[in-house]
Amino acid sequence: MEVQTYDPKDPNIRAYKVREQLIQTMKTRFSLYGYHQIRTSTFEPYELYFNTAGTIHTDEMVKLIDRNGKVLVLRPDVTIPATRSVAAQNIDPTNHLRYFYVSDVYRQSFDGNGSKEKTQAGIECFGEKSAEIDAEAIALAIQTLKDLDVPNFKIEIGHADFFKQAASELEVTNEELEQLKRFIQAKNMTEIGPFLERHNVKQEVADAVRSIPLLYGKPNTVLAKAKQIALNETMQQALQNLEDVYEVLEAYGVAEHIVLDFGLINHMDYYSDIIFQGFIDNVAKPVLMGGRYDHLSEQFAAQIPAIGFAFEVEALLEGTSDYAFEEPASVDMTVIYEKTKQKEALAIAAELREAGLRTIAVPAADQVKANSASIIQITESEQILISGNDVQKFTALRDLKAEIL
Amino acid sequence: MEQLTLALAKGRTAESTIELLNKAGIEFPDFHTKSRKLVFSNPEETLKLIFVKAVDVCTYVETGAADVGVVGKDNILESGADIYELLDLKLGKCKFSVAGLQDTPPLEEAKKLVVASKYPRVATNYFNQKGIAVETIKLNGSVELAPLIGMADCIVDIVETGNTIKENGLKIMADIDDISTRLIVNKSSFATKTESIQQVIDQLKAGLE
Repeated sequence: MEVQTYDPKDPNIRAYKVREQLIQTMKTRFSLYGYHQIRTSTFEPYELYFNTAGTIHTDEMVKLIDRNGKVLVLRPDVTIPATRSVAAQNIDPTNHLRYFYVSDVYRQSFDGNGSKEKTQAGIECFGEKSAEIDAEAIALAIQTLKDLDVPNFKIEIGHADFFKQAASELEVTNEELEQLKRFIQAKNMTEIGPFLERHNVKQEVADAVRSIPLLYGKPNTVLAKAKQIALNETMQQALQNLEDVYEVLEAYGVAEHIVLDFGLINHMDYYSDIIFQGFIDNVAKPVLMGGRYDHLSEQFAAQIPAIGFAFEVEALLEGTSDYAFEEPASVDMTVIYEKTKQKEALAIAAELREAGLRTIAVPAADQVKANSASIIQITESEQILISGNDVQKFTALRDLKAEIL
Repeated sequence: MEQLTLALAKGRTAESTIELLNKAGIEFPDFHTKSRKLVFSNPEETLKLIFVKAVDVCTYVETGAADVGVVGKDNILESGADIYELLDLKLGKCKFSVAGLQDTPPLEEAKKLVVASKYPRVATNYFNQKGIAVETIKLNGSVELAPLIGMADCIVDIVETGNTIKENGLKIMADIDDISTRLIVNKSSFATKTESIQQVIDQLKAGLE
């Protein structure tokens, strides 16, 4: 006498449910921090990305041509259209705008396996820069990972200005700079030394560049070391900024999850200050990337500082689906009835649906299996409500509604 | 401490790498060169060693199937993997070179070249940087043959002694890069298993001295 509304082992249904539960958990957490959901258009004009410097490589975008010959791109990211839209609003930057989104984004190839689509769940906070706002974004990311029961994770924090400033002291071509960036991203000490020697870099600058990839680990230790190699006022300020943010993160009680990494260089050039990424067990790529991008809005003729991050939903699923998912009852109520009582049973089912309960009505003769929170049996002689071990007779629909609603 | 998986390239540097690991105090008692086993553990079971094809080591590490890897710089350059390259183990030293027939004109004079290589990415990047247009043909072995039968103008390959090049009547036209065996690490593993990985690095550093 059980009604099976879906096969819990059906991989398609299960995958969707696991995914939805993960997304719902994230959305709830974002809302609890005062963020509101937004959505950007699926199609964007190609010029938006072509004209915005330091963003996504034009080869990476999925392009379409409409009937007038205009080139469109499938939403490659959310940050840029969101920034454009906020820039057009003429907002007061002292009043922070807190947005979140869950959106599919499209690129020609995300990880070399041909996949062109992935889902990002992220936040953007527009308004004046402060250590508190930066720490809020990072703490929110950490709290979200905790909500997802991720047992072991690390957030690596770096600063976009630190390497940029050191690099500005080098006399190298753009290609050579890209090469140096790759060495630093790979913490490739074997090749950084000879590179600096080849380019006759001043001792002081060479020492700084050589140290950057090794500035990795516990924030207080790393900051102390970094202070010794800061070449100018801007680099000192970057360190001060990180120190301030870290102090607030300590107040949030999340310091154990933080490591500093000055070798962190994001491929998105628009990041201006703090940048960060998150790693969890069993997932080889970052599940989270973000940072402050105070100058992006200037490309849309506005001056609105902002910070944001995005979780990679598929990567999170890879690392969390094993333990995070709870199988919910597939429906709230199953009404099982004798054929002779069909009319009454269907009326009850209709009332229950009206009241917002997911309800299935089936004839007793069908002998189906139920994955249902409660069951109502309607026979010739009586009407029974079964909820767990609790079995109750009822006569009028009114009594039933009083009981369950 | 959690277990780390170490991917090791099969082939010419495998034995010397195991020797270095032993010197660093990392032992795999079951290992011997004739064994066909592909997975070994150290007695403490803190390290699992897997033997994979050299060209696959970067893939294992980038995808996180292995936390650390030991592989030649040639394969790292060709894979373009997003990984940490933390130590030069100074084994299997050789060079990436361009070689051609004795009468092939200098590279700088070429307008367009056909290049054969096991390393098409390395070859293409090198000539792009030089501003020379190339068509690259990917071969899996006996690359020296390509200029001899007129399939390509030159080749890009790893050169250890230069004997194979000479014996086939070719000459070295340019050197691209020095190659040696490197320790590579997955970026996520480095963040989530920092201490265990740092310990392996420190041991290897001590073994190198």
